[in-house]
Amino acid sequence: MSKQTAVFLLLLFNINFAQSNVNPDISLIGTFNTTTNFNEGSPYKGKINFEDPSLEMFINGYLNPYAKASANIAYHEGSFAAEEIYFEILRGLPLDMQLKGGKHLLGFGKINTVHGHAWPFTERPLAHRIYFGEEGLNDIGFNLSFILPTENFFSSFDIGLYKGDSFRGIGGHEHGQEEIHEDEIHEGEEAHEEFELNETNSPVISARLGAFFGLSDYSNLEIGLNGAAGTLGKAGLDNGLIKNVNFIYGGIDFKYKYKPDTYKSLTIQTEALLNHRDIINELEGAEHFVLGDAINTYGGFIFFDYQFNKVFSFGLKYDFTYGIIGSERGINSLANDAGNKTSGISGWFGYYPVEETLAIRIGAERLMFDYEDGTIRDDETMFKMQMIFSLGPHKAHPF
Amino acid sequence: MDKEKIKMKNILVILLLLVFTSMNFGQVKVVATTSVIYDLVKEIGKDKVEADYICRGDQDPHYVEILPSYMLKLRKAELFFKIGLGLEIWAQQLIDGSRNDNLKIIDLSNGIEKKEIPAGKVDASQGDIHPYGNPHYWLDPYNAKIMAAEILEALLAKSPENSEYFKKNYQNYISTLDKKLIEWNSKMKKAEGRSIVFFHASWIYFAERYGLKISGYVEPKPGIPPTPSHNAELYNIIKKSGANVIVMENYYSDKAPNQIASQTGIKVIKVPIAVFGMEGIDSYIKMMDYIINNISGNL
Repeated sequence: MSKQTAVFLLLLFNINFAQSNVNPDISLIGTFNTTTNFNEGSPYKGKINFEDPSLEMFINGYLNPYAKASANIAYHEGSFAAEEIYFEILRGLPLDMQLKGGKHLLGFGKINTVHGHAWPFTERPLAHRIYFGEEGLNDIGFNLSFILPTENFFSSFDIGLYKGDSFRGIGGHEHGQEEIHEDEIHEGEEAHEEFELNETNSPVISARLGAFFGLSDYSNLEIGLNGAAGTLGKAGLDNGLIKNVNFIYGGIDFKYKYKPDTYKSLTIQTEALLNHRDIINELEGAEHFVLGDAINTYGGFIFFDYQFNKVFSFGLKYDFTYGIIGSERGINSLANDAGNKTSGISGWFGYYPVEETLAIRIGAERLMFDYEDGTIRDDETMFKMQMIFSLGPHKAHPF
Repeated sequence: MDKEKIKMKNILVILLLLVFTSMNFGQVKVVATTSVIYDLVKEIGKDKVEADYICRGDQDPHYVEILPSYMLKLRKAELFFKIGLGLEIWAQQLIDGSRNDNLKIIDLSNGIEKKEIPAGKVDASQGDIHPYGNPHYWLDPYNAKIMAAEILEALLAKSPENSEYFKKNYQNYISTLDKKLIEWNSKMKKAEGRSIVFFHASWIYFAERYGLKISGYVEPKPGIPPTPSHNAELYNIIKKSGANVIVMENYYSDKAPNQIASQTGIKVIKVPIAVFGMEGIDSYIKMMDYIINNISGNL
């Protein structure tokens, strides 16, 4: 048993035995994934891959009548990490504003703030993997939330300021790693400006405008507009000027749910994201970088999930994104990739025998790749069985 | 010129009238978690309250999805009534989401004599157990009087200027309810001591009030869906006890009860346990009428 595991178990043991009415709520979510595929070159081709179980421990409670605090400690692939640590001031602020501060999932679209165990599907949407990273947009900062004075429907406006590491980790470079020295600068590049990428402390701004409409007693609709902007790094140009390497994300999301009774429901949900960013290019045969033209790329997904007989659900999802899923982070890959594309179709079947306490999902995802240079790559299909347990109090699901 | 002035004056008067008529002067803004509470609030507050509720009458009150529109309802409310005892685990999320700093929350279970308070450690192996007692107390109509008294007290505290009005409405309602209690007691008299099967553990207050013997439940444990093995066990219980009715809330699936009925000949009765839970059920009294008429008529 590793030292980290021992500390975690000790912490959990102590918390459990110290429970009283004034202690926070504690819940554990365990996830076991088993996958297989039939893809050429895969080490698991035709074999069953039992992935290490992952665990999330949620702790939350009121600090006082006005504020709550929450933490999500995650164990994944042998290590522990603080996925989320934040406080929320829920009431008592001017303009009925709510303030959320700390490390948390950003409300960019609907899916990003929902933890994976609560999704109906088994795989993070492709566009999120490219533009948000494998763990989603999760950053340090604060968010202010306002309810707008619309009388007949609920609408809200959120604006946040974040450190921006989760954005930079996707398409930018590790700080200070890509420094180019003056003697490496090439001349005669009219279309491009040469630079070196340096660390930046510029925060990222993220905002969301949401509107919720009750269409009937049984059906509801929510629409959101999202935006984020910031600087990925600073570039030292050959003329001595410093130039910001900027990005802007724009997004729209839509969720419709029809739930006539406890036993069945239909959810249709989609998100689309537009990525505008300055990119840097590597000159062929040289070990330095040039500032290229800004790129405009996009991605998104649409899915439906149909719940029937209370305990079963099935659904289908179509994904599209610029960038190649599974690529290593680099200057021409993931969110910086304006030439290659990945699309995917996935389907799932879910079984929820007793409410939220257990979930068993079987899913398949087929990925199709489209390379700008004509490279032919076979489609890839993965099958996954996911088993999730939820121990402890669980909240009612938000729409 | 004069004509213009008169015209403008008239327009202003009409606009002011429109504004004034659209404002609810002196009304206490109330939101209830369930339509049963809503009905009691309306009976006491009548046109001096602006009332609304969260959980639909045909919806299981244990599971309510957190909709932003519910937060909007709570946003301007002054009083928020709930059943309590852990029935509305969703209520706190709505309260937090409403950001309403002036909301007074009234738990109507305060004056209720609680039943089925679990002894010892409570965990999920026992199903959806409510650690502070069974929350379905409104199905005993005598408890409706206690709930009404709590509601009156809250309205009086909030709007003392309307105290006489509220007290008069309360007395009228209690008087009507008392008459109905006599009628319901009389109807249920013949059912005393009879065995009965319920779908979910919602009926302890009702059963004890009218002396019914609960032979069993279709759910193996509270909130746990029926299973074939439990159904088989229930066949024997029904045969031994002589129960001839399964009573179930109308928002549950009747698939399992109907299977049991086809094996044992027992009758399945679906009833609403909330106001607006069925067409024509637009008050608590009509709801209890429906429940009592159906149960007493079939036992």
